[in-house]
Amino acid sequence: MQRNLKNLENESIYVFRQAFRSIPNIALLWSLGKDSNVMVWLAFKAFLGRIPFPLVHVDTGKKFKEMYSFRDKYVKKWNLNLIKGSCPSIEKIDPSLPPAARSAARKTEGLRKIIKEKKFRGIIAGIRRDEQGTRAKERIFSPRTDSGTWDIKNQPPEFWDQSNFNYPKSVHVRIHPLLGWTEIDIWEYIKCEKIPVVDLYFSKKGKRYRSLGDEDITLPVDSSAKNVDEIIEELKISKTSERSGRKMDHEEENVFERLRSKGYM
Amino acid sequence: MKYNNNFDVPKIVIVGHVDHGKSSFIGRLLYDIGEIQEDKYGELKKASKKRGVEFEFAFLLDALQDERDQGITIDTTRIFFKTKKRKYVFIDAPGHKEFVRNMITGAASADIAILIVDVNEGIQQQTKKHSYLLKLLGFEKVITIYNKMDKVDYAESKFLDIKSKLEKFLSKIGIESYSSIPISSRKGDNIATSSKNTQWYKGFSFVEVLDKFKIQENDKSDLIRFPVQDIYKLDDKRIIVGRIESGKIKIGTKLIFLPSNESVSVKTLEVWPKAKKEYGVGDCIGFTLNDQIFVDKGNMASDTKTPPKLTNRFESKVFWLSKKKISFNKKYLMKINTGEYEVSINQIKNIIDVESLTEQKKLNVEKNDICELVIHSSELIPMDDYSLNKSTSRFCLLDEKEIVAGGIVDIRNYPDQREYKDNLKQNIIPENYAISEIDRSIKFNHRPGIVWLTGLSGSGKSTIAKNVEKRLFQKNINIFSLDGDNLRIGLNKNLDFSPEDRTENIRRTAEVANLFAKAGLIVLVSLISPYRSERKKARDIRPEIFREIYIESSLEVCLKRDVKGLYAKAMKGEIENFTGISSPYEPPEIPNLVINTSKYSIEESVKKLEKFILKEFSF
Repeated sequence: MQRNLKNLENESIYVFRQAFRSIPNIALLWSLGKDSNVMVWLAFKAFLGRIPFPLVHVDTGKKFKEMYSFRDKYVKKWNLNLIKGSCPSIEKIDPSLPPAARSAARKTEGLRKIIKEKKFRGIIAGIRRDEQGTRAKERIFSPRTDSGTWDIKNQPPEFWDQSNFNYPKSVHVRIHPLLGWTEIDIWEYIKCEKIPVVDLYFSKKGKRYRSLGDEDITLPVDSSAKNVDEIIEELKISKTSERSGRKMDHEEENVFERLRSKGYM
Repeated sequence: MKYNNNFDVPKIVIVGHVDHGKSSFIGRLLYDIGEIQEDKYGELKKASKKRGVEFEFAFLLDALQDERDQGITIDTTRIFFKTKKRKYVFIDAPGHKEFVRNMITGAASADIAILIVDVNEGIQQQTKKHSYLLKLLGFEKVITIYNKMDKVDYAESKFLDIKSKLEKFLSKIGIESYSSIPISSRKGDNIATSSKNTQWYKGFSFVEVLDKFKIQENDKSDLIRFPVQDIYKLDDKRIIVGRIESGKIKIGTKLIFLPSNESVSVKTLEVWPKAKKEYGVGDCIGFTLNDQIFVDKGNMASDTKTPPKLTNRFESKVFWLSKKKISFNKKYLMKINTGEYEVSINQIKNIIDVESLTEQKKLNVEKNDICELVIHSSELIPMDDYSLNKSTSRFCLLDEKEIVAGGIVDIRNYPDQREYKDNLKQNIIPENYAISEIDRSIKFNHRPGIVWLTGLSGSGKSTIAKNVEKRLFQKNINIFSLDGDNLRIGLNKNLDFSPEDRTENIRRTAEVANLFAKAGLIVLVSLISPYRSERKKARDIRPEIFREIYIESSLEVCLKRDVKGLYAKAMKGEIENFTGISSPYEPPEIPNLVINTSKYSIEESVKKLEKFILKEFSF
């Protein structure tokens, strides 16, 4: 394995183990995308072949059918303890949000519901700094108030791998083991470790999905990359950003910050 | 600074005063080397237009609405880019003094540091503060860039003026300026390519300097440090997991665990799906041990030759991040490596004024101050000195739900409190004494005792002891005075003044005093004995007859007396580890008697001690 990937792997394992040691009752958000599959794989490494906490899939009910069949296959194959959460209907979501963002915000509500129901104190999420400007400002261990909000202007200090874990019961901590990875790191690691992904990522008829979300608010991009190797080559010269196919990101300048400060991943 | 071998993708932090152009510089750099994606560029253009500016490079990093609206960076952020040579991660750190905690959060994990100064404004408060913090974070070199050259018409004189001032400051705090580059983020001078506007500048452009920069690697390969992160019970194995901070580990590696001080060797390596033969710095691994010893989270495993020190007291350089004032009565939670300890702050040694680089004897540490503290814990903590191993000598302090400080450990002047295991002991069976202590004391008509005089050099220990000895001898008391300096001529002549040898000096003296007491005598011991922990060990040999006398005198008075001329030498730096000057003195917490020689005459002091001894040890 390249040293760069080995370093990222080590950093993520350290975060997983620190989270498991320091936060009671944690769960891993498995969104079925490439990043969260890498995350599951890293959890196997951190805990030596078993995952000592549940995985959560907050289901919007609008994922691609390929994603659902992928989920059902690997729950069995990897022997995962999966909890499925549901999302409220669009009518219950803040109508001032632009349409795609409003749709995405259903997931925030679904997540909030399951955290409350299962009393989770820590949620492991596969966001990365290179995806989006506000995600670049995240901490590895990021506290959220009981309503799930992110106090973006008053984040706790975090240095030398030391973080605060002493929060009141109403607070849950978002744990971000992939924060330092980039899109190309993810694909190179998938290649190196032979981690399975949904085949929507691979080009069919000149198009592929570069980032997967709900079917109705996610667009494929032009691409001829038919396998992992070709994706890596494509990314080396790509001039567009990863989430260009995600409608919710582009409706208004501040929309992602609005979503995230309310609890979106 | 990270200090492991993670240099394939170096992390670069950029620091400096607010508004000197950190975020704009990064934005400009990425634009010039073609690393801003097309759709991203369009978004930034829109965001700039909305705020009535043509194109704001800083918006690439300042993604928060408040940051864009106010034109400042609030929190640290990271952005990835590649040059023709290698990939990098850029860490942008806020320059505003309100956000020092965010600056540290960003800078603490970087491999390369860049200091930016606005040539028009010159060196400002946060330029200095950030430089000092970089030093504390472990940086010995920085790349300095002089921004906004366009505003001073690319005048070389202006550049040279600020450069010489900055370099003077940096060298005072022990940082080398690796390269100095005149730039303009607005116009793109000397960033990706050399500029025609600065013909007088013969150095490289920023990108060239960056690509050439070599990062120092951690080469302490024989020093093993493995803080225990957790213990997993899998099947029937107890697996110890953690990250190797230095050294290499394989099957058979002999390790010593602290604080238990047990040595044991590695039986199996536990890594999923399959273990390699050997692991090194940065690797997160698990292993099992050949012997079932008790190991807990927070313990430290190390090589057997040079383990970390075990101590419950240490000095430290600290950056204080909280609005809350330091309280001496409060318990703080200290996190060091993977361990957590309850500690209290004993003393604020001084506060460093970053403006003038002088030490101030202020009483209150304020938010974002840098200070030197003496910290105490009830438990023994395994730790390294910062000069020995950077990654295992850094800690943070928490006050309930808040990280209030970060710091680096200085234990050069404190002894290792690890118990030395002596294998010979097993075969030694002590003989009983033929004459009991009671029989001796009936014959002498007083009880035996150890009267331990501790205090600074020049406080009057020896003078008082000698006089008391004479007076009590005349009163038929069997008394003998053991003097520290006299012992160092004979019994202790192989010992110096290092913390370890001071400890041994005290141990031997205490054992000798104990033998004299067994012979029925009252022993007066005059020894600086600066460490509480060591005096406690001396007491623990015979607690029932041990009396601790604090010969108190202020350092100022001792300095003035300076009977042996030692302080004068110590002040000149001719004597190392001199108590009170370059080595700590810990006054007793509950002494049996205090004699303040700044207040009382020798005569009065002698009488006080004489009276005390007669009261304590006569029938």
